[in-house]
Amino acid sequence: MKKEKTPLFPLQKSSQYLFFCLLMLAVLFVSFLLAIRLGSVDMDFDVIKKVLVNKLTGRTIYEDTWRASTELIIWTIRTPRILTAFVVGAGLTLCGILMQVLTKNSLADPYVLGISHGASAGAVSVIMYGWLSVLGGYGTMAGAFLGAVISIVLALRIATVRNKVTATQLVLAGIAVSALFGAVTNFMIYHTKTGSDKVKTASYWMMGSLSGASWEKLKYAAIAFAVCFVLIMLLTRQLDVLLLGDDVAATVGVDTGKLKIWIIVIATLLTGVIVSVSGTIGFVGLTFPHITRSIVGTKHRRLVPASMLVGGTFLVIADILSRVVVAPEELPIGVVSAFFGAPFFLYLIRKSNGKFGGGK
Amino acid sequence: MKLKIDTITYSINSKLIVDGVSLGIEEGSFVGLIGPNGCGKSTLLKNIYRVYQPDSGAAYIDGRDTAQLSNRELAKEMSVMQQENQVEFDMTVFDMAMLGRYAHQKMFGNDMAREREIVRAALKEVGMEGYEERSFLSLSGGEKQRTLVARALVQQAPLIILDEPTNHLDIGYQYQIMSILKKQKLTVFSSIHDLNVASCYCDKIILMKAGRIVDVGTPEEMFVPEKIRLLFGVNTQVTRNSVTNRPNIVFIPSGE
Repeated sequence: MKKEKTPLFPLQKSSQYLFFCLLMLAVLFVSFLLAIRLGSVDMDFDVIKKVLVNKLTGRTIYEDTWRASTELIIWTIRTPRILTAFVVGAGLTLCGILMQVLTKNSLADPYVLGISHGASAGAVSVIMYGWLSVLGGYGTMAGAFLGAVISIVLALRIATVRNKVTATQLVLAGIAVSALFGAVTNFMIYHTKTGSDKVKTASYWMMGSLSGASWEKLKYAAIAFAVCFVLIMLLTRQLDVLLLGDDVAATVGVDTGKLKIWIIVIATLLTGVIVSVSGTIGFVGLTFPHITRSIVGTKHRRLVPASMLVGGTFLVIADILSRVVVAPEELPIGVVSAFFGAPFFLYLIRKSNGKFGGGK
Repeated sequence: MKLKIDTITYSINSKLIVDGVSLGIEEGSFVGLIGPNGCGKSTLLKNIYRVYQPDSGAAYIDGRDTAQLSNRELAKEMSVMQQENQVEFDMTVFDMAMLGRYAHQKMFGNDMAREREIVRAALKEVGMEGYEERSFLSLSGGEKQRTLVARALVQQAPLIILDEPTNHLDIGYQYQIMSILKKQKLTVFSSIHDLNVASCYCDKIILMKAGRIVDVGTPEEMFVPEKIRLLFGVNTQVTRNSVTNRPNIVFIPSGE
C-alpha cells in the first residue's frame, strides 16, 4: 500500500526555503554586478563599486577619477536597465502565476494567451496615432493596459468551455488572440511610412527589448510591481484554495467572484505596465512559476516570493546574454527568452497531453 | 429543522430539472437522496450549496436563508464533498486538508499550532495518519476521497452535503467513507447510488424522480420492491440483513 516516500518537492522545511531565497538573492547580486560590467564597453568592478556607492549615498565617498562617460554608462544606462530587467522578469512571472490560478492550467501565461500581444498592440497604437495624448507620459501605459484588458477578456472567453480551461483550448485561444493583435500591430506599421522612427519603435515592442529603459520608466514599473506583489501576498491563501476549482473554492468559503476580478485586474494592470516598458517578452511567466513550483511547492505564500527571485534573476542574466552574444550589437531580449522558453513550453504541452489525453 | 428546502425550482435551457422540491432534514440525521441518473439529484444539491442559483425557492439552514450568507459564513455552516475534482497542481495531503480551514482563518494572526492540530486530528480520524507529506495526486481513489473527507471535517460545519462522492469508488471504500461520516456528530445529506449502502447508513431516505420528490421515509418504508421498480424499473427481492437488521436489496434480472 505505501509507495516510495519521495517528498513532493525538495524544500519542505521553512529553513530550506529561506536558504533557497537567500541563495537566489546572492545569485541575483552577482548577476547584477556582472550585468553592469559586461556589454559593448567593459567596466572595472572597482569603478563600478565606487560609482554605485557614491550614487547611492549621494556623497563623494570615493574621489571620481573616472571619466564622465563611464559614470553615465554605469548609472544612467546600465543600472536602470538591469533593475528594469529584474522588475520585468519578476512581474511577468507574477502574471504567469495569476493566469495559471485563474485558468487552473500550468500552460497559461500572458504571452501564451496573447495578452502581451494585445498590450503591445495597444501601446503601439498610442505611439502611432497619438491618441490618449492627454495622459502624457502615461499614454503608452494606458494603451498597453487597454489592449491587455481587451485581449484577456477575449482569451478567457475562447479558452473557457463549460467552466473549464483545457490545455488544447488554452493554446488555441492563445494562437487566435496573438494572431489577431499581431495583425493589428502589423497593420498599424504597414499603414505608417516605413523607415520612420515610429516603425522602429513598433518593432521594438513586438520583439521585446530593454534598450529603452530609464530611471523614469523604471520608477513606474517598480511601483506598479510592488503594489501588485503586496496585494497578491495578501491573497495567497485564497489563491491556494482557488486551485481546487471555482465551485470547491466557493464551498470552502472563498468569494470566488470577487477574487477572480482582483486577479484579472492585477494581472492586466501589471502586464500592461511591463509591456509598456519592455515590449513582449515571451514564456517568462510560463517557465519560472513551473520551475519554482517543483522546488518549493504549490503554496503561494512560498511560491510567489521565490519565483519572483528566480524569474527576475533569469531576465537579468538573459539581458547580459542579449548584450554579449553579438557584441557590440544587441539582441532583443525577447529573442533570448524565447530560446529558453519555447522548448520548455513544448515540454509542458507534451506532459499535459500525456496526462489529460489531448486535453479532452 | 437543520436544513429546510422550500419549493426550489431550477431549469437549464428552459428544461425543468428540479421541479418545486421541498424537504426538511432534521438535526443529527443521516439522509440519503436516491434516484435514477438524470433525475436531478445532483442539480438539487448544487442549488443547496449554491453552485447554481435556484429560479425560485430557497434553502434555509437553522432558519437562515442561505442566499443571504456570504461564502465564508456558509462554509462554517455547511461543508460539501463532491466527486474528486481534477486538480492539475499537486500539493501534500496535509496542505490539501488545511485548505478546509480557510473560512476559520483570518488574514493575519492565526494560531497555526492549533490549526495544524485540527488538521492532524482530522487526518487521523479518516485513517490518513502518516500520509501528511505525501503527494495528493499520487494517492489512490479511496485515499484521495478520505483526504477530502478530512478537508470537509476541518471545516467544522454542523451540516455536510455529499454530492455523489463515492460513485467511482469500489464498494470497500464506499462503506469505509460512510462509516467515517456516520461516526461524526453531523447532519449528513448525501446522494447515494448503491441502495444497500443507503439502507445500511441512512435514517431517512428521499426518493427522487424526474425532478420531483416521490416519497420520503425510513429505509424500511422506502426500500420495497414496488417503489424500487417505480424508480429504477428493475425487480428486486428485499430481505432483512440479519447483522444490521436493515433492508437488504437483491436485484432480479428481467425475465426471471
